[in-house]
Amino acid sequence: MKLSKPMPNQWLFTVACVVGALALGACSSSLKAPATADVAVSQAAVENASSADGTEFAPAEMKSARDKLAASKRALAAKDYKAASDYANQAQADAKLAQAKAGSAKAQAVSATLQEDIRVLRSELDRAATQ
Amino acid sequence: MKTNRIYILLAATVLLLSACASGPKTTSLLEQVRVDYAQAQGNPKVATHAALEMQAATEALAKAEAAAKGRESLETVDKLAYLTKQKIALANEVASRKSSEADIASAAAIRDQVRLDQRTLEANQARMKAEDAERAAQAARDAAAAATQQKNQAQANESEAQRLAAEALARNQQLEAQLAEMAAKKTERGLIITLGDVLFSVDQARLNADGVRMVQRLATVLQQNPKRSVLVEGFTDSTGTTQHNQELSERRSMAVRDALQELGVPRGQIAVRGYGESYPVAPNDTAMNRQSNRRVEIVLSDERGVITPR
Repeated sequence: MKLSKPMPNQWLFTVACVVGALALGACSSSLKAPATADVAVSQAAVENASSADGTEFAPAEMKSARDKLAASKRALAAKDYKAASDYANQAQADAKLAQAKAGSAKAQAVSATLQEDIRVLRSELDRAATQ
Repeated sequence: MKTNRIYILLAATVLLLSACASGPKTTSLLEQVRVDYAQAQGNPKVATHAALEMQAATEALAKAEAAAKGRESLETVDKLAYLTKQKIALANEVASRKSSEADIASAAAIRDQVRLDQRTLEANQARMKAEDAERAAQAARDAAAAATQQKNQAQANESEAQRLAAEALARNQQLEAQLAEMAAKKTERGLIITLGDVLFSVDQARLNADGVRMVQRLATVLQQNPKRSVLVEGFTDSTGTTQHNQELSERRSMAVRDALQELGVPRGQIAVRGYGESYPVAPNDTAMNRQSNRRVEIVLSDERGVITPR
């Protein structure tokens, strides 16, 4: 067998390999952009939740969001774009939930304070009226 | 044969396995998410306040269910189920927050109303207090004015009394001067003016000119001192009958009264009494003494019109 004259089978294998590699590359590059975007969006969601006191009001969700954001960044660095996207989406969902929990807890606290204010005011009013 | 049997067994196993895999895949997480979803759907607050978030949860659940139905890997199903779970929780939290915010809005309105009520009450109470204070101040002013008036009245009364006292003193001094002119005598019964026998016609009750002048003076005194009254007492000597003398003494004293009345002295200011021969001032032994006994005495009362009876 001479190298200068490859067998048709060998040639075919080479082509297939090239095509396959190209296809994989195309596939992976088409996943890269959305995964990067997902990670960025998650990063923003975590930051928003943190500045909305998510750490204080929903510590479990915030930890989960941060852990998953870190995992998504690691996956992105390892060019595992599918995993990066998945982790980023979960991190985003956790962060949004943490922010919402903080918001509802604060609103409930304000509402309770107001109700207490009203109760105190009413009792003062009643006392003043009976004087 | 033996080989055939093995083939048949293998085929049956493959069939069984494929039969098992042909049902939709499910995971415990997906089951839990379905329960969560039903609960969230039954929550009216979610329907009112978190419709958008619930819509996202519905879409996420549909994807997870589709993955389960499409027999994708358990890992994929769980990933989608997890996202759905978090979205349902998000819808619940958003609903809770917005519901609380609605409470806050209405509570703020209620609180403002209560505060307003309180201010109104305080204002009313303050006004009532001010009115009470004003009434008290008015009462105090009235009392002060009354006191001032009383004081002024007292001062006026006092000065009036002083004036009256001064007048009375002046009148007394004048009276005493006038009476001195008439030779009035101060006795225990008061001032007594004696009209002697010479002022009457002999054995008559008529006053002569000197007598009339004397009576005129007395009338002036009585008119200037209307509070004083006089008692006119007539006396005789022992000559003649007792009855004659009694009548003569009465007529003479009445003559004095009539003369005073004619000169404008009110009758109520004059009393008369005849004593006849009684109360002689001297023994009836000489003509001079008898003349002294024939007399009319006019007793002048004190300021209150009182005369001590004989």
